[in-house]
Amino acid sequence: MESAETANHSTHRSRGIYLLGFLTKYYIQSLLLISVVILAAVNPYFRSIGNLQNILLQASFAGIGAAGMTLLIVSGAFDLSVAGLLGLCGVLISTLLPLLGAFLTFFAAILLGVVLGSLNGVVVTKLRIPAFIATLGLMNIYLALAFIWTGGSRVVPISDPIFNSLGTGALFGLPIPFLAMIAAYLGCYGILNRSVYGRCLRAVGSSEVAARTAGLPVDFIRILAFAIVGGCTALAGVFLGAELSSASAIMATGYELTVIAVVVIGGTSLKGGEGTLFGSFTGALFFAVISSALNILNVAAYWQYVATGAFLISALGVQALRSYVVVE
Amino acid sequence: MGTDQTALQSPILRLTGISKQFPGVRALEGVDFHLFAGEVHALQMSNAVASHNVRSSLSLANATRLVQVAESLGVFVLLVIVVTTASIVAPGFFTYTNLTNTLIAASVTAVTALGMTFAIAMGGFDLSVGSVQVLTAIVVASLLSVVGPPLAILGAVLTGLAIGLWNGVLISKLRLPAFVVTFGMMSVIRGVALLVTQGQSVMITKHAEFGLLNNGKILWLPVPFFIMAIVLVILSILLKNTAFGRHACAIGGNRAAAIVSGVNIDRVTIAVFGLVGVTAAISGIMLASQLMIVDATLGTGFELQAITISVLGGTSLSGGHGNLIGTVFAAILLATIASALNILKVISFYQYLAMGALLIFALAIDTARRAFVAKSLLSRS
Repeated sequence: MESAETANHSTHRSRGIYLLGFLTKYYIQSLLLISVVILAAVNPYFRSIGNLQNILLQASFAGIGAAGMTLLIVSGAFDLSVAGLLGLCGVLISTLLPLLGAFLTFFAAILLGVVLGSLNGVVVTKLRIPAFIATLGLMNIYLALAFIWTGGSRVVPISDPIFNSLGTGALFGLPIPFLAMIAAYLGCYGILNRSVYGRCLRAVGSSEVAARTAGLPVDFIRILAFAIVGGCTALAGVFLGAELSSASAIMATGYELTVIAVVVIGGTSLKGGEGTLFGSFTGALFFAVISSALNILNVAAYWQYVATGAFLISALGVQALRSYVVVE
Repeated sequence: MGTDQTALQSPILRLTGISKQFPGVRALEGVDFHLFAGEVHALQMSNAVASHNVRSSLSLANATRLVQVAESLGVFVLLVIVVTTASIVAPGFFTYTNLTNTLIAASVTAVTALGMTFAIAMGGFDLSVGSVQVLTAIVVASLLSVVGPPLAILGAVLTGLAIGLWNGVLISKLRLPAFVVTFGMMSVIRGVALLVTQGQSVMITKHAEFGLLNNGKILWLPVPFFIMAIVLVILSILLKNTAFGRHACAIGGNRAAAIVSGVNIDRVTIAVFGLVGVTAAISGIMLASQLMIVDATLGTGFELQAITISVLGGTSLSGGHGNLIGTVFAAILLATIASALNILKVISFYQYLAMGALLIFALAIDTARRAFVAKSLLSRS
């Protein structure tokens, strides 16, 4: 009887430690789960299928870009040009759609993203320009090309029933962009954690000098990572354009900082060398849940800026305080 | 290698009695080091910090000064080229009025970029400066309807200081990434600016003398230039000649080493972000005096512009050192390009194209120059 009680006590205790460890490792995931459960419990509109679908849809635009960006940040660089790249892809889709049809336009857009991404990589690695300035300069260039293409910040239509269904359609109740986001994360997870190239990315991010000395083709590895970011951004552009049925040069203003914030909130350090795709995935959902909650709770437009920033900081602040407690 | 070869030659590098002190810490004392031709040395000390200090003293003894001079001159050379070209191709560029306006525009951005350079030297950066600039501009504009300019300016500076210190506290005490904190604060402060103005613009009607901060002249030079120069001098002294500046650079260069050396990381971090807040506030005051009518949509994208100017000026985002004079030259360079494109009546979206291409072109030349300097240094030694 007594021994059974002790055993019971010890399992109880180890379960507690296990739970604490789980919460530490999956902090942002637990936070997301708790917020969704609370919001769903207090607000009937939040738990409606339509709203949940909308959250998944909104999460996928930043989420798809963040999948590629995670790989690039792991390699120790980042790309600020994505907003311009997305705008340029969007306006080109509008032009190409009547000529090529939905299927070919889709691939043309992705191809354009990969080519422009590679160009980013070549400028950063071969001209040895800091990624910050090179990609900011290229963002200006892409924006300008999109402006010139549309003759200013004009909104151009994207109207093709098949193409638009990419943004508005759903399979098994899940929006197609969200399914694409899952595919993008599975693909990037395979690349980062299950391939030689992923190991190279982490090596380059941990120490570029060491990777170079070990004989790794550092420039090629980085260029490939930039190309992946370009491809992911173009994919996000396809879905955003398809959902809005329109495109403009400035359709993704601020996208670069949002995408990097999603990655950092997920737990990936900007210093490079390591990263978590599961974290970025959750980070994208977290952003979408916050903005949906603020809209549903009728928070006034100006207050939404304050609330979004405050949530962001306090979400990570709680994590920091909690890790103090765990250490003690 | 012969066994007694080294004994026969005199050392090609001799360092004797090196001492290095940080306030409160004696890092090195009486260290002797001799390097003979053909020798390969690995420095191993009782701790990593000591060997780092010996190595840094070594490299300092060599050529860093020369490189530093070349570094700060780099953007200056580009600036001379761009100003010359602009004077030739853009008639009306090289006039007193236009040069003054260019200098004013450059000064407003340079002040914040100087603070940003300090933060980057410490291995961080601040994305909230654009929002701080617009909020402080609104604060000074609103206060001018109730109090005089000195108190209004003080209020704006204190606002910037408080936000900066708060950023620093969150980053150091909660160990949060600077990116997340300042990105979050960028949103919060923009929201506060929209809330206090309710989306309306604030006009400065009383105290017309406040405009002198923008269009006043001392010896034919605009007042904003002197404000920038004062900030430059103060920050240069802080960065190079005080323990605070050296500690900031130490944190950026090697955080672990700085901790072991006894640098109070938290205090330095909070102070540096406070400093960035103050510079952003000064930029905000200058902006308010320039426009005399402000609203909460100003200053978007200012954070990336300030970081660009720092990096263009020769400060590496990896931290460890800050090139303040380079920052000023880079700010003038960007303002010159913008002014020349305006005079040439380049349509706005072609201006984006030109600015992007010029940024990349300028940096490509800069990289080539650095490679050249490094090569010539190698061949000298």
